[in-house]
Amino acid sequence: MIPFDFEYYKPSSVREAVLWFQQLQVQRKNPMYFSGGTEIITWARRNSIQPGAVIDLKAIPECGVIGFHQDRLILGSCVSLSVLSSANPFPLLSVTALGVADQTARNQITLGGNICGKIHFRETVLPLLMSDSRVILAGEKGAREVSIHEVFLHQIKLEKGEFIVQILIEREYLSLPFFHVKKRQIGNVGYPLVTMAALKKDERTRTAYSGVCVFPFRSIEIDQALNDATIPLTNRIEQAIGKLPAPVVTNEEGSAAYREYVLKQTMAEAVITLEGR
Amino acid sequence: MLAIDKVRYFGEPIALVVAEKEYIAEMAALRIKADYEPLPVVHSPSEALRKDSPLIHEHLAKYKKHEQVYPEPGTNIANRTRIRKGNMEEGWNKSEITVEVQVTMPQSDHAAIETRCSTAEIMPSGKTIIHSTSQSPYIIRMAISQSFHIPLHQVIVHTPLVGGSFGGKSAIYTELLAFIASSAVGGRAVRLVLPREQDMVSAPVHIGLDARIKLGCTREGKIAATEILHLFDGGAYSDRGAVMSRAGATDCTGPYRIDNVQCDSLCVYTNHPYSTSFRGFGHPELTFAMERAIDLMAARVGMDPLEFRFHNAIGPGDTSPTQTDLNKSNLGDLPMCIAKLKEIIYWDSRPQVQTSGHLVKATGVSCFWKNSNTPLNAGAGAVVIFNSDGSVNLLCGAVEIGQGTRTALTQILAERLGMEERRIHISTDVDTETDPWLWKTVASRSTLLSGNAVLKAADDAIEQLKNMASIILERTPDELAVGGGRVFVIEHPGIGIEIAQIVDGYKDSTGNMIGGQVIGRGSYTMPDLTLLDPETGKGKTGPEWTVGAQAVEVEVNKRDYSYRIVKAATVMDAGKVINPEMARSQITGAMSMGLGLASREAFLFDPNGAVLDLQFRTYKLMRYGEQPEYSVEFVETPHLEAPYGLRGIGEHGLIGMPAALANGLSAATGASLNRLPLTPESIWRTVHDSV
Repeated sequence: MIPFDFEYYKPSSVREAVLWFQQLQVQRKNPMYFSGGTEIITWARRNSIQPGAVIDLKAIPECGVIGFHQDRLILGSCVSLSVLSSANPFPLLSVTALGVADQTARNQITLGGNICGKIHFRETVLPLLMSDSRVILAGEKGAREVSIHEVFLHQIKLEKGEFIVQILIEREYLSLPFFHVKKRQIGNVGYPLVTMAALKKDERTRTAYSGVCVFPFRSIEIDQALNDATIPLTNRIEQAIGKLPAPVVTNEEGSAAYREYVLKQTMAEAVITLEGR
Repeated sequence: MLAIDKVRYFGEPIALVVAEKEYIAEMAALRIKADYEPLPVVHSPSEALRKDSPLIHEHLAKYKKHEQVYPEPGTNIANRTRIRKGNMEEGWNKSEITVEVQVTMPQSDHAAIETRCSTAEIMPSGKTIIHSTSQSPYIIRMAISQSFHIPLHQVIVHTPLVGGSFGGKSAIYTELLAFIASSAVGGRAVRLVLPREQDMVSAPVHIGLDARIKLGCTREGKIAATEILHLFDGGAYSDRGAVMSRAGATDCTGPYRIDNVQCDSLCVYTNHPYSTSFRGFGHPELTFAMERAIDLMAARVGMDPLEFRFHNAIGPGDTSPTQTDLNKSNLGDLPMCIAKLKEIIYWDSRPQVQTSGHLVKATGVSCFWKNSNTPLNAGAGAVVIFNSDGSVNLLCGAVEIGQGTRTALTQILAERLGMEERRIHISTDVDTETDPWLWKTVASRSTLLSGNAVLKAADDAIEQLKNMASIILERTPDELAVGGGRVFVIEHPGIGIEIAQIVDGYKDSTGNMIGGQVIGRGSYTMPDLTLLDPETGKGKTGPEWTVGAQAVEVEVNKRDYSYRIVKAATVMDAGKVINPEMARSQITGAMSMGLGLASREAFLFDPNGAVLDLQFRTYKLMRYGEQPEYSVEFVETPHLEAPYGLRGIGEHGLIGMPAALANGLSAATGASLNRLPLTPESIWRTVHDSV
């Protein structure tokens, strides 16, 4: 159980949420924004975090949106992964979301929560990185729209008191040819050994990875290596592996050696799948 | 119950906090600061046996022994069982072909959905009331009574409908802690519910095994000799692990005729969580070792793996490793199980290995047998009480853990009394104050022990009913039978009397009472069990074996060694199937559990001996969507001593699954897969190492 008491707030507007955060901050309540809550509950149960207050964002209308505005898909940060994948506005995002946890957990886990989590995998960010999505943030200084690359490098980087309201994705990305594979230690549910997502845009393959290093990433260098049609595929993959941004992980799910073996195969599958399309 | 001086395993409790509310207790527990001085860690049974290994228990010689165990003070050996049968020299001389196999099976969790919990309350009179999710209410009563010097009748233990236990709830654990907690607060009721992480590592776990088997065989394919070394990972304390290592010896050959056997089966202390009973009780482990060796030997001899097993199947007239004489009744019919298995998996009509691109399909097989290893006095009682409307209450001590024992016992009683099951009431709970004693609900023994007690209680009641009716009907009791809620004359079934009229005594036409209340009582203890000879292992640990043959079909992706379990099949000699639906579901559940165990379940330790995967996030179980197609069929060779000839079947579906999966994956990949769990990475590693 969670052995400590905490306050719970459920504001119904962006402004109210930001104000609550500021106020609770002043009161030294160590507030946290709360979306699906799976991670907060998990860490609080183990006494690794002790928020004195949580601010639930799920009643904020903007955070629950799935829809289009002009040529952009708008996804509210509090849309649950199961709702997101059944509405299916962005098929690559849907299959990526379906790889996270299990159905019961996906009913709780939200897009924004998954991206901002402390957990290493944060797999739903992969399609967002590849589609150069935009992010609407709200905070003390009001709202701002930024590129995902400005606020997400390996992990989310927000100002204190800021939260993600929405994610915006250009419509042209939604129907591009894609590839997604999640390989686990064993079975259909669990953390990744390797999750690889790929999109083909303008005859070039963009790739992004989770599970390989201690953070999810997209790497321009890796994409350059994989797209270099002048050399054989195995060499391209060798070069791509040489560009990994951090050491390959060894953990309960598997060793670095096996991960690398699986990663190379997955890269080959991705390139072969997308080159023909 | 709490560590003194040294902590021997990760998860061992060092302090107990009692509070009014759970969160207060948890907050208080978080404030306990412990300074540990690190000691060298013993990580495996093999490490524990090295000469320079630290001793986990320095004062082993002074420990009290409750059952037949042979610890070796000055070492980390908690028990050693020796099997010496036949003449090894002769056996090896006959062996033109030999194979040697080493296998490893790590410790793992029982993973029942409901974690262990219990409450304890000590009344001012000294009466102690325990509620527990336990398979062993009568052992709890004894443990509390002996440990805290309370007379047995003052200790009352209740168990509810417990559900998933798998052996893990037969060990006494939370009950003693709850008792200590209650006595610390003046006897107030204290409830102890283990959170998942503590349930996984503080409470006892599934035993691990390192084994080495040497098998000798003639060129014609007749197994002539075996030498076996079992090193069971008992963890830091000797719970049932010591007895499980004995079970690992008594059935060490698997269901094969081997005339020359040498086996040393050891339970070894390590700095791991301590081990206790787990579905199969040492048999999934010993079977994994032996069946890997059998498969390798079949290949060396050049025989079909099922043919090889069929030819070496143990039969009536042979003797067990403990030199028990075998007959149809105590052994069953393994060749028939193998023959039937061949049919249901179409063994003869397709190749064992089929390749299609990077996908390889293969089928692995395994046979199994299992007898029980109980104390000699393991027994049960039953009481049959009649209500004034002729309905019946059945009292017995078998705990319902989802295995359906209480349903089976009701069926057995209904059959013997010739009445409908719906007229018989049996509660889902056990109450040691009113229900007669049963040793424990373990070892697939409840339908034998309680079933025989129920039959005796039924016969006792029938005799009383007939005696009373004989006066009323003016017939001798021999002329009467009980059935359909009546006592009637066998020759003239129309002449009789309703049971309802006589169960509380019979009031005749003049108003005089004849007889009194009818109460049937029965008890049963397994006869002729003996201790094992410490030098040769000669003796009889249980009344009968259940044998069977199993198969697992896999489809391996040779690119990354991921695989799909396609089909799993079991043919078991169940003696007599009295409830086909429940029998199949028990066996299917056990098969699923065995496949999960074999494919993914394992505790991972860091260099300090801390368990890394103590949550279901990283500790993997088979999910619903990953289940293969299951087939279960039966052979029926009655065990003459059991009710209606039935044999224990609760555990047995699990036993051959790890071996069959390993044999299937080995066939598919061409690598010898002798380490569990069989994750794609472990297969990849083996394939790479052997290249």
